[in-house]
Amino acid sequence: MKAVILAAGEGTRLRPFTNSEPKPMIPIANRPILEYAIDALAKNGITDITMIVGYKKERIMSHFEDGADWKVNLNYIDQKKRVAQAGTAYALSMAKSDVKGDFLLLPGDNIISPSLIGELLKKKGKYRIVVTESETPSKYGVVELSGDTVKNIVEKPEQHMGNLISTGIYKFNDEIFDSIARVMKTGSYGLTSVIQSILPTTKVTAVKTSKVWSDVVYPWDILTMNAVALRKCAASTSGKIDKGVILKGPVSIGEGTVIRSGTHIMGPVVIGAGCEIGPSVCIYPSTSIGNNVRIGPFTVLENSVLMNDVQLSSGSYVSHSVIGEGVELDPQFCAVESDTHVQLDDEFRKVGRLGVLIGERTVIGSQVSVKPGSIIGSDCKIAHHSTISGNIEDNTRVM
Amino acid sequence: MCGIIGYTGNRQARDVILSGLKRLEYRGYDSAGIAIGNGSLNVIKDKGDIDHLISVLPVMRGKFGIGHTRWATHGPPIKNNSHPMTDCKGQIALVHNGIIENNITLREELMKRGHVFRSETDTEVAVHLLEEFYDGDLEAAMRKTIKELKGSFALVAIHNGENGKIVGARNISPLVVGVGKRENFLASDVPAILEYTDRMIYLLDGEVVTLTKDRVRITNFEGKEIKRSWQKVDMTLEGAEKGGYDHFMLKEIFEQPKVIQDTIIGANLNAESGYSIDLTPDTIKIIACGTSYHAGYVGKYMLEELTHTPTTVELASEYRFSSDTHSEPLVIGISQSGETTDTLSAIKTAQKRGLDTLGIVNIVGSTMTREADSVLYTRAGLEVGVAATKTYITQLVALLTLSIKMGVAKETLGIDDARHLTKELRKLPKNVRSVLDQSDAIYELAQKISGAKSMFFLGRNINFPVALEGALKMKEISYIHAEGYPGGELKHGPLALVTEKTPVIAIAVKDQTYEKMLGNIGEVSARGATVIAIGTEGDRELDKYADYVFYIPDVPPLFTPILTSVVMQLLAYHTANILGCEIDKPRHLAKSVTVE
Repeated sequence: MKAVILAAGEGTRLRPFTNSEPKPMIPIANRPILEYAIDALAKNGITDITMIVGYKKERIMSHFEDGADWKVNLNYIDQKKRVAQAGTAYALSMAKSDVKGDFLLLPGDNIISPSLIGELLKKKGKYRIVVTESETPSKYGVVELSGDTVKNIVEKPEQHMGNLISTGIYKFNDEIFDSIARVMKTGSYGLTSVIQSILPTTKVTAVKTSKVWSDVVYPWDILTMNAVALRKCAASTSGKIDKGVILKGPVSIGEGTVIRSGTHIMGPVVIGAGCEIGPSVCIYPSTSIGNNVRIGPFTVLENSVLMNDVQLSSGSYVSHSVIGEGVELDPQFCAVESDTHVQLDDEFRKVGRLGVLIGERTVIGSQVSVKPGSIIGSDCKIAHHSTISGNIEDNTRVM
Repeated sequence: MCGIIGYTGNRQARDVILSGLKRLEYRGYDSAGIAIGNGSLNVIKDKGDIDHLISVLPVMRGKFGIGHTRWATHGPPIKNNSHPMTDCKGQIALVHNGIIENNITLREELMKRGHVFRSETDTEVAVHLLEEFYDGDLEAAMRKTIKELKGSFALVAIHNGENGKIVGARNISPLVVGVGKRENFLASDVPAILEYTDRMIYLLDGEVVTLTKDRVRITNFEGKEIKRSWQKVDMTLEGAEKGGYDHFMLKEIFEQPKVIQDTIIGANLNAESGYSIDLTPDTIKIIACGTSYHAGYVGKYMLEELTHTPTTVELASEYRFSSDTHSEPLVIGISQSGETTDTLSAIKTAQKRGLDTLGIVNIVGSTMTREADSVLYTRAGLEVGVAATKTYITQLVALLTLSIKMGVAKETLGIDDARHLTKELRKLPKNVRSVLDQSDAIYELAQKISGAKSMFFLGRNINFPVALEGALKMKEISYIHAEGYPGGELKHGPLALVTEKTPVIAIAVKDQTYEKMLGNIGEVSARGATVIAIGTEGDRELDKYADYVFYIPDVPPLFTPILTSVVMQLLAYHTANILGCEIDKPRHLAKSVTVE
């Protein structure tokens, strides 16, 4: 059986981290979100995968190439139209000539576990949909069941319909393409509308799951997901570890990385390839550090995600924070965490413990401190001695 | 310069050979052919690329055979000149890569003895020699044949009377044996057979190999058996698919941030030395061809700045015939494939003169890695596009890491400076990525110049070789005439050619040449030329001088060539794409040139 993965979305709510990286490529425990879906398919013997790509597709294609490293055979289709109404059904319709008979459909921007795909494959029925309980059902397509048959499905309902939501993971048959064509003629481009339209004539079987499935919607979700994913981190060390380095718990260290003496790392922690860390750095759980990252002496990191190419100088404190690709931080940067609310559009949302979120390539001078819950955009330049609070837009210069 | 492959085993040889030829296509693609043994010999060949061959190929059954993809050197690309070549009786089929220098005298002798020649190639003499010497043993005939041949060659032959046997011989041109389970392979290059096995034996000059599906027997030219064990190659084929991109070239351009990082890790800047040669020579000579020559030219500026060592760059084909000056420079040879004949010969010349040699090579296990005294690997992975991109960029990075290490060894560079440069090195992947993110903007610039018949590329100092490389990239894939010049040379000639119809691409980054480059831009725009300038982020002056400006991130001058080169690659790519050119297979060009 083939699988289709939808990976064309931009993930605007994840800005600033999706300014030049598509959402499926956001790293969770140093692996792009999309890798979890591909891995889940491969572990269930599904190796023929068609990927619908669009926004920043080069980032995806350059990473996965033809899929050989993941023991799958990848084929890409460019979803040329990138307008808002180009929904999931439209995206799937791109794969029409590529799939015959039964196939699976997966979103490329959710963490999906192999056991979840296993459950989906075990169940019977021509059309199947994976559903799960959610605390915030109003953000998703909400499903009503009778036994294991779907009775109703509504996208982002305004009135409470229960907590069961669609995960966007389906088993379909190629007949779905006729239904998609019919529904798109009426001006709807979402898959939920397509499912809704076939419910009167076709049985759609629900596969309830409690296996790992999670969606990253907001940038602070990266931290939660990272911590969950790191629980499965296995210790493995390559690179060069100096005398006097203490590693506790599962710590994974990549090729060519150097850990200098006096450094204390408490797992679960993953560190990528070609990094230079220390001397005398403390890294606490649950932290992921990408490739080619440099961390200067006397810096403390806790429960944070540092993406590739980050330069973090000496004497800094970074807690519960996400630092985007290529960010440069001069000495004595300070980001402490606390229980925070973040302003989103017009509403304040409680987000729990959060330090700072910094978009890619931003450069920050020495002795800058940020208030918990601040969000700094990408390509900003922030002068030394500044104190930052609230939201700083992309390309801002703070003097 | 051609690609050859042989197979014997239990699979249908046709399928193995075609898939291998497809992967060898970068070595040449103006004609192709295949010979399968199955009681009798079945030979099909034609002008055109592998896809064309596949389209005309009937079902051919048989479990051993040979194949060839050609880049014409002797005789135009027509069917009769394609390989495999057969003897007069049609019992022997042979493929060849290289040049047989004494083919004219051999041909006359063989014709006197009644052999009928059907092609204009140098290769055909070899197959008639095999026929002449054949006495029931192809291996013995091969050994006698190569004694008669002068020049460079890799030969692979089959005889219809010797079922399942393939005989190969190597002198200078590359040939590698792939060892499988109850099957064996022969090819010009590892990727052709990597799909089936990763256990390889690299044949050395003067060796003859006989393959059956169960046995690999290697002998020297005298017939004495040589015991060689296979080595596992650490290369994957993943890079050999286009993976969603329209062209290999674009895919490889976008892989650059990753391979730059791999090369930095590979250079192991934290280790003490890692080189088996003396890192404090009095002078340095860099030898290379084509794009590698341009990389070497950039390397000259890096080495001189960081190690204060006088450095000269020479084309490998010229160095070989240069006089021995009895000075003792370190000789650095740069070759992506490690098989470039001119560069290999130059390395050998240097060794004869008693000099230390260092190879900067991409392909592990290639000839240069064995010939040179010390090797620095670029870790670019497999490059399929004929226009070099990621291999060139990693050569620049490798040269930079070498310059840093040598600078420390020579104490022209303090450890503090070295640490600072290493920190800057870390910023390269993200800075390259930020240029790639602006690919669409470069596409728009390409639209402005794609109608031109001729264009100029200008740069000074370390960005002068980048101008050469920019012009080369433009020429090789878009077929637009382009010249690279140092800015200061304009007024000594080429300015006469500048008109409103010749766009000028000027590299004017913030370094010690910036003011001078502004002057040059003034000179050409006064003659009506459209000027595209490449400047540094934050520059507020440049757009007053140039018609269009593309900004690269602000990095130290020594690092700018890596970023300006990426702009050049994308500019050439988009221009060629707008013009509808065959980007991955430019006419008359082949990837690694293993003929002289």
